[in-house]
Amino acid sequence: MNTLDAFIIIGVAALIHASFQLGVSVLTLLGSHTIGKNRSHAKLLRLTGSYLIGTAVMTMLLVSMVSLTLLNFFPTGDVSPLIWAITCGLLIGLGVAVWAFYYRREQGTSLWLPRGLASYLAERTKATHLSGEAFGLGLSSVIAELLFIVGPILLASLALVQLPPVWQLVGVAGYTFISLLSLLIVAGLIGSGHKLSQIQKWREDNKYFLQFVGGGGLMVLGLYVYVQQVVAAMTATGIQ
Amino acid sequence: MSDALIDIIKREGRRPSERFERSKLHASVYAACLSVQAPQGEAQRLADMICDIVAAWCATKPEVTSADLRRMAARHLEAFQPEAAYLYKHHKLVL
Repeated sequence: MNTLDAFIIIGVAALIHASFQLGVSVLTLLGSHTIGKNRSHAKLLRLTGSYLIGTAVMTMLLVSMVSLTLLNFFPTGDVSPLIWAITCGLLIGLGVAVWAFYYRREQGTSLWLPRGLASYLAERTKATHLSGEAFGLGLSSVIAELLFIVGPILLASLALVQLPPVWQLVGVAGYTFISLLSLLIVAGLIGSGHKLSQIQKWREDNKYFLQFVGGGGLMVLGLYVYVQQVVAAMTATGIQ
Repeated sequence: MSDALIDIIKREGRRPSERFERSKLHASVYAACLSVQAPQGEAQRLADMICDIVAAWCATKPEVTSADLRRMAARHLEAFQPEAAYLYKHHKLVL
């Protein structure tokens, strides 16, 4: 895999990560509670900023941890086709799961989350009034979405270990930035005074499209990597 | 208007019933209005008005569910501030 291929895979995986909506839901709720309690605009910016930093730190830690673990198994970056095949299977399975049950079949943007966990996150969001708490909320929202983001993170990490060390750092930073794009856009909209009702209405109106894009993206990426890494390796070694 | 002596059945009976508290309803409607950038004065006026309407509706019943209260408040709020009503109705359906 050359550097460009690796960066394309990392970028697409991060875009798929960005299409998942748990972090955006928590950020919307955080904005709603903060504005609803008549807190200052500076406070709103501090809380959303801390939340974003929390999600960025946890995403970076997860990608780095998975990459480091993979590097221990594959120090030269020579990943076996079996690992690629397992990862592609995981991506395709996750894509089907996203299509099947990412959003609950009811009004609003309720997600697949167990209701107990959703209530807990909602309560924590409501109770958040310090920057440190918002930072922790950002960390935990990434963990709460781990079931779905594990696919893109694993694939991005496999692509990262193919890169020279300096490019690996760039890759981790790039993945983190792209995966945060949806949050950055929503935080920008909230910070610039857009109405939360309009943001939430847009999310609700387009939720099935986002679900289709997220699930479809996982499947297409899984198939692409399968062909590029597994089929190509089998063809090269003459295994049919 | 003081709090009426009406039992509010919470979450279809899965949580203990509570007495109707006007201040809680007021705070939630007020917050929904502020969340859509309504001015404080308007938010206060709308919250007062919705509380009056809902309290009058409750006064004719021995007990109501919290979902009924929310539905009634949202329905009346929709006439004055549709965006706040949307947030009020859906805030439990965001996550």
